[in-house]
Amino acid sequence: MTRAEFIDRLKEGLVGLPTATANDIIADYQTHFDDGIAAGRTEAEVATALGDPIRLARELKAEAGIQRWHQEKNPSAAAAAVFAVLGLGALDILILLPLLMGVVGTVFGFFIAAIALFICGGVIMVAGPFAGFPGGPFAAILMGLGLMAGAVFIGALLAIFTIWLVNGVVWFARLHYRLLKPALESSPVQSTSTSGVSA
Amino acid sequence: MDINRRAEVPETIEIQLKKGVLGLCVLALLNRADSYAYEIASRLSDAIDMGEGTIYPLMRRMQSDGQVETYLVESSAGPSRKYYRLTEAGRGALAAQTAEWSAFTKAVDAIVANDADQGAAQ
Repeated sequence: MTRAEFIDRLKEGLVGLPTATANDIIADYQTHFDDGIAAGRTEAEVATALGDPIRLARELKAEAGIQRWHQEKNPSAAAAAVFAVLGLGALDILILLPLLMGVVGTVFGFFIAAIALFICGGVIMVAGPFAGFPGGPFAAILMGLGLMAGAVFIGALLAIFTIWLVNGVVWFARLHYRLLKPALESSPVQSTSTSGVSA
Repeated sequence: MDINRRAEVPETIEIQLKKGVLGLCVLALLNRADSYAYEIASRLSDAIDMGEGTIYPLMRRMQSDGQVETYLVESSAGPSRKYYRLTEAGRGALAAQTAEWSAFTKAVDAIVANDADQGAAQ
């Protein structure tokens, strides 16, 4: 593989990252080629020693996704982090996805319920005093406030649980992809010193 | 089945070990002197036979974990070079991981040596 091929494949793999981050990463590998050539190696040698650019791009992307999730706790960052680690193949999608879907569905259902409860509380508080709420207007306002507070409480619990869940998935995936075999191998060909089989 | 396992396990252990201690090795190298990625990668690939490219995801992770920081050094030829140095957190991580590593190797050594003695006795 030539230098241009390596960089092209890396660039392709990094699509989706912020341009500044991708450029930074590509500059790192360009410098690596410069240094390698200055040390008397050929482009092909450096490329082989670096490893599979597509695999590297996946790892770099997952790392960037996790970093973004640590900085900004919002749904899009969470989705990006989870999908990036799924892309590594560190998580067994077939086993994990049904499980994750169930949990995500349940959380989503609770969120909708919390919103409905909040609206319901609001309606009782505003309309209750005029609609002859049993116990009088004061009871209606208190009841409405109580329901809204309960809804906010459930919402907060769900948010905490969701953050914990994403952290858990990311932690698990990181732990596993660090131990994954292909990441270490410079190419699909087995390295000479571990297997004794010459490429 | 036993034969298959014997053929597979050492390789997996070797790779998992290397991947696991890569971070520790980088911390130890940087503790001796600040360095740049190419130098770190070539020293590590000589010593523990890893793909040189894996150094970059690792350095980015260590940077976002706050274990290392970068600074630019003017170079006589070409653009300025990015150097890495340990932070306080990095030194802390090095101390903790070194302790973990030596406890682990000591325990494994003790078991392996014991096993070898028994094998010799039989």
